[in-house]
Amino acid sequence: MLTIEKLKEYGADTDEGLKRCMGNEALYLRLAAMADQQPEFQELESLIKDNDLKSAFHAAHSLKGVFGNLAITPLYDRLCEITELLRSETPADYESLVIDIMKFKDKYSSICQ
Amino acid sequence: MDKFRITSGLRRRILVVEDELINREILGNILSPVYETAFAENGQEAWQLLHDEGDGFSLVLLDLIMPLMDGFELLKKIKNDDALKSIPVIVMTSEKEAEVQCIRNGAVDFIKKPYDMPEVILARCERTIELYEDKSIIRSVERDSLTGLYSKDMFFEYVKRIDSYNMSPSMDAIVLDIEHFRLINEMFGRKEGDKLLSFTAELIRSEYEGTAAIACRAEGDTFFIYCEHSDVSIDIAMAVQTKLASVSDEKKVKLRIGIYENVDKNIDAETRFDRAKLACDRIRGDYSKSFACYSDELHQRSIYQERLISDIDKGIAREEFQVFFQPKYDISGDVPRMKSAEALIRWFHPELGRVSPGDFIPLFENNGLITRLDNYVWNKVAACIREWKDRYGISIPVSVNVSRVDIYDPSFEDKLMTLLRDNSLSTEDILLEITESAYSENAKKLIEVTTSLRKRGFKIEMDDFGAGYSSLHMLTELPIDVIKMDMKFVQNLEKDEKSVRLIELIMDIARFLQVPVVAEGVENEGQLSRLKALGCTIIQGFYFSKPVPADEFIALCEKRS
Repeated sequence: MLTIEKLKEYGADTDEGLKRCMGNEALYLRLAAMADQQPEFQELESLIKDNDLKSAFHAAHSLKGVFGNLAITPLYDRLCEITELLRSETPADYESLVIDIMKFKDKYSSICQ
Repeated sequence: MDKFRITSGLRRRILVVEDELINREILGNILSPVYETAFAENGQEAWQLLHDEGDGFSLVLLDLIMPLMDGFELLKKIKNDDALKSIPVIVMTSEKEAEVQCIRNGAVDFIKKPYDMPEVILARCERTIELYEDKSIIRSVERDSLTGLYSKDMFFEYVKRIDSYNMSPSMDAIVLDIEHFRLINEMFGRKEGDKLLSFTAELIRSEYEGTAAIACRAEGDTFFIYCEHSDVSIDIAMAVQTKLASVSDEKKVKLRIGIYENVDKNIDAETRFDRAKLACDRIRGDYSKSFACYSDELHQRSIYQERLISDIDKGIAREEFQVFFQPKYDISGDVPRMKSAEALIRWFHPELGRVSPGDFIPLFENNGLITRLDNYVWNKVAACIREWKDRYGISIPVSVNVSRVDIYDPSFEDKLMTLLRDNSLSTEDILLEITESAYSENAKKLIEVTTSLRKRGFKIEMDDFGAGYSSLHMLTELPIDVIKMDMKFVQNLEKDEKSVRLIELIMDIARFLQVPVVAEGVENEGQLSRLKALGCTIIQGFYFSKPVPADEFIALCEKRS
């Protein structure tokens, strides 16, 4: 079960996340657990594979918004990076970036179990 | 102060447009303790909600990147929709470039992403809602809904601001008033009256366009203009007047203009317009003048009039008013014979001295106070007639004036009947003089009242005949017993052949109606003999006697007998 300690250990700025939830820990943990189920992770993976950068931007942007608000920093930072690259359609090694994101996502999933 | 906003107890409704459920939950958790919150997952859903609930929302919090319809498109649609454009929109974004685009499209503020702290979000929502509500209240009270000009209160606010920002130039206060607007409303209907007001406002707007001026509809048919003084300030107002007259032929609309030029900025704005209004009212009913300027003389006059108004009741109570009598002589025989008299009022004010009737009678006629004086005179006259009968055995009828306002007094006839009863007099003893201008004001009412009075036995004398706007039609409609020719005819009798012709015409009319004619203002032998030759049989004027107090009058009566 997800706890504040686990999130902290993962690298989340739980103080900020909790503040945004008006100090409601149960809500924060529920939303943080929900974030693990965001379908946009899989979408991002396959869109990058298909080289559909425009759609990939939308998926990354959505995830960035969610993880930013929950202050889950390790994922948020990486999502920021890919979102800005995709927004400006800058040529980059997107597959490696997605692999890196998925690594952090898997780790996140493990603490959510 | 905010605590005391009367609407603070109401829960405003906020629409959150955001595609991510988690974000919606975070915002809902922040907002719901203070606001009713509705959610939409995309622009399309939000558009539908806004259309269904319209102005039920006090604020929209809008995400930009969403499926189906994004935030940019929704924002444009809201701001292009007349019913929705007044709802403020706060955009939630982390991109600076998007901010510029949203501001251009009408967004009022931004919330950062990741979200600002809840306190910041709540404060931004609260301030935006407050600002927009205040703005909409101001907008609704700022303008007069009929004409679109400023409302009076706002106008005076702006006058104060103009004064404080703009110290150097001299300003003019102008009042425009539609003459007899009440009659236009009555004759053509309220809708037409409203149209006329709107049209006047439109003319004011177009004529003053490009000049430093603001305008409002102050009340009913009165417009105020505050403008920078220039040689053409009056010309512009007169252009409004001319254009209004030219398009309203049938209604014969006349705009009265009162101007207080180079206003004294040390006096408050309202008083400046009181002064312009004073000038404007000065030419009420005078079709020969199109505008009047405020002057110190006018100011003194208004102070004098205010004094008279405030002193009338005291004057009546202290018997400062005295009734004088001017005899009327029958000259049909070889020797003139006193036939009756007219009661005239005089005011001996303890401080102002003898106040001219020309100063107080028109004033009290205009504001309705004349009824008090008329009642006072009627009572005094009735008492005198009674006394003369009892003490001297003299019975002489006396005419009293009946003002236009008396005609509208529902107890008017009862008052007269009570007066006769209390003094044991008959309708033969008191004659009623009604001025012809009462006819043009409300002919129907006047005919109704005079008919009823004649049925009771009163004799009606038509006063000032030929002075105003009397029509021959009136003579066929209005039952009268005597015509009193306006004294101007007599005054011009010896210098002007036209007056002679007119007197002949009046005599013809009187013969046709089979009523006698009284000539007023007869001062000399020459006038008397011309009038006699023209067939006039009753004479009143200084030639026989000036108006005199009751004791002198009774001495004249005794001499007669």
